[in-house]
Amino acid sequence: MAMMASSSSQQQQQNLQSLNPNRGGGGGEEDKGEKIVADRYLKRELLGEGTYGVVFKALDTKTGQTVAIKKIRLGKHKEGVNFTALREIKLLKELKDPNIIELIDAFPHKGNLHLVFEFMETDLEAVIRDRNILLSPADIKSYMQMTLKGLAVCHKKWVLHRDMKPNNLLISADGQLKLGDFGLARIFGSPDRKFTHQVFARWYRAPELLFGSKQYGPGVDVWAAGCIFAELLLRRPFLQGSSDIDQLGKIFAAFGTPKPSQWADMVYLPDYVEYQHVPAPSLRSLFTASDDALDLLSRMFTYDPKARISAQQALEHRYFSSQPLPTIPEKLPRPHRKGDSLNHYPSDFVSQDAPLVLSPSRKMRRVTPHHGAFEGNAHEKAGHARDSRHVGESTGPSGNILMSIDFEALHGSRPPPRPTLNSADRSHLKRKLDLDPDFGYSH
Amino acid sequence: MAANFWTSSHYKQLLDPEQVDVVNPIDKEKGLTPEEFKLIKIHMTNHIWRVAQQVKVRQRVIATAVTYFRRVYTRKSMTEYDPRLVAPTCLYLASKAEESTVQARLLVFYIKKMCPDEKYRFEIKDILEMEMKLLEALDYYLVVFHPYRALLQLLQDANMTDLTHISWGLVNDTYKTDLILIYPPHMIALACIYIASVLKDKETTAWFEELRVDMNVVKNISMEILNFYESRIEAFKGIPEAYKSMTEEKINAALNKLAMK
Repeated sequence: MAMMASSSSQQQQQNLQSLNPNRGGGGGEEDKGEKIVADRYLKRELLGEGTYGVVFKALDTKTGQTVAIKKIRLGKHKEGVNFTALREIKLLKELKDPNIIELIDAFPHKGNLHLVFEFMETDLEAVIRDRNILLSPADIKSYMQMTLKGLAVCHKKWVLHRDMKPNNLLISADGQLKLGDFGLARIFGSPDRKFTHQVFARWYRAPELLFGSKQYGPGVDVWAAGCIFAELLLRRPFLQGSSDIDQLGKIFAAFGTPKPSQWADMVYLPDYVEYQHVPAPSLRSLFTASDDALDLLSRMFTYDPKARISAQQALEHRYFSSQPLPTIPEKLPRPHRKGDSLNHYPSDFVSQDAPLVLSPSRKMRRVTPHHGAFEGNAHEKAGHARDSRHVGESTGPSGNILMSIDFEALHGSRPPPRPTLNSADRSHLKRKLDLDPDFGYSH
Repeated sequence: MAANFWTSSHYKQLLDPEQVDVVNPIDKEKGLTPEEFKLIKIHMTNHIWRVAQQVKVRQRVIATAVTYFRRVYTRKSMTEYDPRLVAPTCLYLASKAEESTVQARLLVFYIKKMCPDEKYRFEIKDILEMEMKLLEALDYYLVVFHPYRALLQLLQDANMTDLTHISWGLVNDTYKTDLILIYPPHMIALACIYIASVLKDKETTAWFEELRVDMNVVKNISMEILNFYESRIEAFKGIPEAYKSMTEEKINAALNKLAMK
């Protein structure tokens, strides 16, 4: 049996090299003919490669439902079931909700663990990027409501998602939005436990994470949901930092540099550095949206995580009860589906010189991508009709919709971030700040 | 903690006391008695504990591992699932599920160092193969709650933090029974506080009354715990060596009935 485990993992390596939907992931001698797996699932085409293995489309013969089956690659160093996969199993077994992806089944097959999920037609990133789709305020409200509902369930069960971004918000055939990819999620019950701050795609990272906080809470997911809200309004990622320092710069340019009165604990965070003070432009100058929408947005972007609105409170915000009411999910616009567009990678038909803006993928999390640029391999999840297109700063047909915050544009020249202040400087500045709460504005 | 426990899979999977001590039909056929079944579970709980001390994991990981172990045998036979392999694999799986992974090779190494008996020694591949089977046996439910946090909060609330040491030890010993499969963890914590307060002559009636919990349940759990101690003392008869060699003999006899490996 153990022999089989190792040989099938070798075989899988071969399969991975010959990924080809037409061959249905074949290659092994055992994969012949009609493939009913686990006496239940009729294997269809390959959908793509996920974080820890290949994903197949399949028919659940027991329910008639279309499902996506993730085949979990075995750990490289004889470490059994993949740790990330185990996390996802553990948490999804506890989270059953219409706005969270359902783990239908799990089974071992030929020495590999397989996870069966409900099949999701597309994701929010594809919706946001599809320029043929007009998102009405009611549509945006609906997507936000579903996002926050899913999030509120997670937080109620003490689960942090930690990887909220449009491409992890999956959309089912009936228009329901569901939180997916719990590979980074974890339970935040133990108060003394320290977490890594290396979570989330950078553009969705809350300021406390960027300052290196290791004891953060559900506020990090709410901040990311705020970024998604902004992205729905702008139709492009809101705060596109090219490094952690730059990300903070973008945040402060949008909302003003936080003052200790706004966020007292900030200065105690491990990677805290002082930034030059900039005032906050009005939200109205950044977004075209209703007063209620802007009010909710500002509460989701509150600097102090303790004062930031919770997912549940956000759902109770008047934005969701005021007109227009959220669109019912079945009536939401869906991205245009081109017959076999599923297996296209955007790099196939994007000309080399034009910038393509997509959320940074997990693989890019620790590297520094070119500002706004995107190169080839960021697709972890094929299988979602993704209408990729050029959304360069000057080419976007966004009309009067304002683009993401750009420091240069707002302030002429960008103040250099000061990551290497020595402690004497810092305490000196702090003392000055104590004396004069508006210190910095006059400089 | 209460808010999420009541909606958890752990809560939904709680069993009646009668359901947990049933010897699997396959094991029964081999002549395994309920007493022996209990004894093997206690013995293997100790085994998990000793291995865990070698690889140095948090208390929580040990408690989760023991819970997995006991849960498995409410569903599977010891004949098919050798407890001597299931025990370390539970520790391995629990360490992953509790986000403090212990490498399988370390477990294998320490077990070989600790156990002269060939029948306790396994290779990495055995553990990894069993991991998959365990996941299935557990129906992929991995989140488990424990009495420890509730215990600390309740002691604080009752202003009896001086009982922390003794009640913590009592909670540890509850894992030598199947209580964690039957009762909500905070009720187990309350029972341990109850016993500790009686032992230390603390007046707690008013505090317990204010909590508005079912005191019958607390007393039932307390009785279970006391029964466990009593059964050990009886077998023991005040001579630790005698107890040790006697139980070892008994356990080996029980495991031999199952004729594994």
